[in-house]
Amino acid sequence: MQWLANTPLSVSIRESLWGYPIIETVHVLGLCLFLGFTVMLDLRLLGVAMKSTPASEVCGRLEPWMVGGFAVMLLSGALLFYGDPAKFYGSIFMRVKFAMLILAGLNVLIFKKGTYRKVREWDLRGATPAGAKIAAGLSLTLWICIVAAGRAIAYFLPPD
Amino acid sequence: MSLVQWLGHTAIAQAIHNSSWLFPFIEIFHLLALGLLGGTVILVDLRFFGLGMNGKALPELSRDIWPWTMLSLTVMIVSGFLLFMSEAVKMYGNQAFQFKMLFLALALIFTFTVHRRFTGAETGASLSGKVVALISMALWTCVGLGGRAIGFV
Repeated sequence: MQWLANTPLSVSIRESLWGYPIIETVHVLGLCLFLGFTVMLDLRLLGVAMKSTPASEVCGRLEPWMVGGFAVMLLSGALLFYGDPAKFYGSIFMRVKFAMLILAGLNVLIFKKGTYRKVREWDLRGATPAGAKIAAGLSLTLWICIVAAGRAIAYFLPPD
Repeated sequence: MSLVQWLGHTAIAQAIHNSSWLFPFIEIFHLLALGLLGGTVILVDLRFFGLGMNGKALPELSRDIWPWTMLSLTVMIVSGFLLFMSEAVKMYGNQAFQFKMLFLALALIFTFTVHRRFTGAETGASLSGKVVALISMALWTCVGLGGRAIGFV
């Protein structure tokens, strides 16, 4: 971590007046695309939003934008971390956030390998199967906690 | 100004101001609602360009999405107002905050008038519709940028 902190780009992000504000702004704007679309998809899987659109169509059409939004979040988030790696590595909320990100990823994988493979059977039903509801509920819960942990990182940084 | 001072001295404002965790706690709701509000705005505006939820006609899509835009907007305004109250006098003089409120007013007026008329029309991908979508996204982006800047100026 100390080595990472001493690389020239890390030093310039940390010491530049504009570095953090700009990257944080990108992180927050990316949140609209990624989180907003994720929530809309989860609400469809819960059977409460866009009920007249087949679930597979919502998934298919939103997916490229969610992947793009996630790339923006991941890259800007990585740069924020890279700006002060030693400090962020020591933050308990950073670790909690990482753990929950992995869980959110696993949730997507399990859903895609499981309930979603039979999407044709429930595609047009407003009432989605339990597997889809559980995946969507888990996803919403995890992302709410991830946002909360992200916010907490800035307020409870370990001392220098 | 006296109204702003009074707001800042209400019991709720003081409770948030004096608490170590209430302000970030309310910010979490503000951020979550931002994600949904921004997402629904982008979803409808992309449709003007024939992108995203392209299988649905614009009026139908915007009807499906509208309740979620309104829900998230309500959460944003309530949580934002609480955040404002806790630092009322300081915020009132903050230039980024003033910029944000100006663009919030513009974005709201535009959304409820011009934008609303275009999302309800079956005109499809007209050039004027695309301009409306771009203005909508630009106005809301300015609200977000202003909000982000409040902590830095």
